[in-house]
Amino acid sequence: MEFLVWLENTGIANAIRTIPWLYPTFETGHYIGLSLLVGGILLIDLRVLGMARALPLKSMIGLLPFVWAGFIINVLTGSMLFIYGATNFGTNGAFLLKMGFMVLAGLNALAFDVAVRRSGGVWVAADRPPALVKGFATLSLVFWICVVTTGRWMAYL
Amino acid sequence: MAFLEWLQGTWVGQLVATSLWGYPLLETIHSLGMAMLIGSLGLINLRVLGVKRDLPMLGMRQLLPLAWLGFTLNAISGTLLFTSDAVYFFESYTFRIKMVLIVLGGLNAALLGQRVFREAAAGGAPASPTAGTKWIAATSLVFWFGAVIAGRLIAYTP
Repeated sequence: MEFLVWLENTGIANAIRTIPWLYPTFETGHYIGLSLLVGGILLIDLRVLGMARALPLKSMIGLLPFVWAGFIINVLTGSMLFIYGATNFGTNGAFLLKMGFMVLAGLNALAFDVAVRRSGGVWVAADRPPALVKGFATLSLVFWICVVTTGRWMAYL
Repeated sequence: MAFLEWLQGTWVGQLVATSLWGYPLLETIHSLGMAMLIGSLGLINLRVLGVKRDLPMLGMRQLLPLAWLGFTLNAISGTLLFTSDAVYFFESYTFRIKMVLIVLGGLNAALLGQRVFREAAAGGAPASPTAGTKWIAATSLVFWFGAVIAGRLIAYTP
């Protein structure tokens, strides 16, 4: 709690509170990041699950740099939004759930990555993702939808 | 204006405005629809501009159902959000700008679809779109990201 109070009183946090356009700018950036991050993940997961077979699976997994760009944008803008109201957000149930779902989504992405590497790209090239990988893709969709949902709910708790 | 006042007085408008979960639920759907629409349409536009050339141009057509799903989800959730405070939204300049951007983005997408897939079908893969088509793709990105920005700023601007 002391840390949250300190965070909320840093120079950056004060600047976000006093400069009127700063908060909306970070929020807008957070939505643009969301479009890249969740948009990219949706495309990859749905392709693994069998959507748009005319687009090579390997090329679609190659959309990951867009996902990373969105992730970095949202970590940066999200941190700024957080310190603005650290004592409020840090104790907000929806925020804590959101962080939990992000950890789950991250571990799941790691498992997906391991599965791709272990196969040596065999099922990627053959466009035959194993059932386990399809399971990771489904979980990924669920986790990221939960991240967006809990994120949106933070303002209402 | 009488219509807008009637609209926000209907049981739908009241439900969205006053229920605990109505507004956040619709906002969540609106965010997810945005990710679907911008993700799929954005990728098509970037491909036309020459990014990710390993994706076959004609195959990009298979992303259109996802774009339509996102658009439909957002048309419905957006309309319901609108009914909760119809007069306020209608009078907001930022909201009006967003609507104009969506109309422009839609017209642009229709035009792009026609040209890209015709060019791709005629030229075979990997098709390289004409300068005019690339121009449409670039403005499309501006319109749709502009709509995202305007949408987020409705709450902060007149």
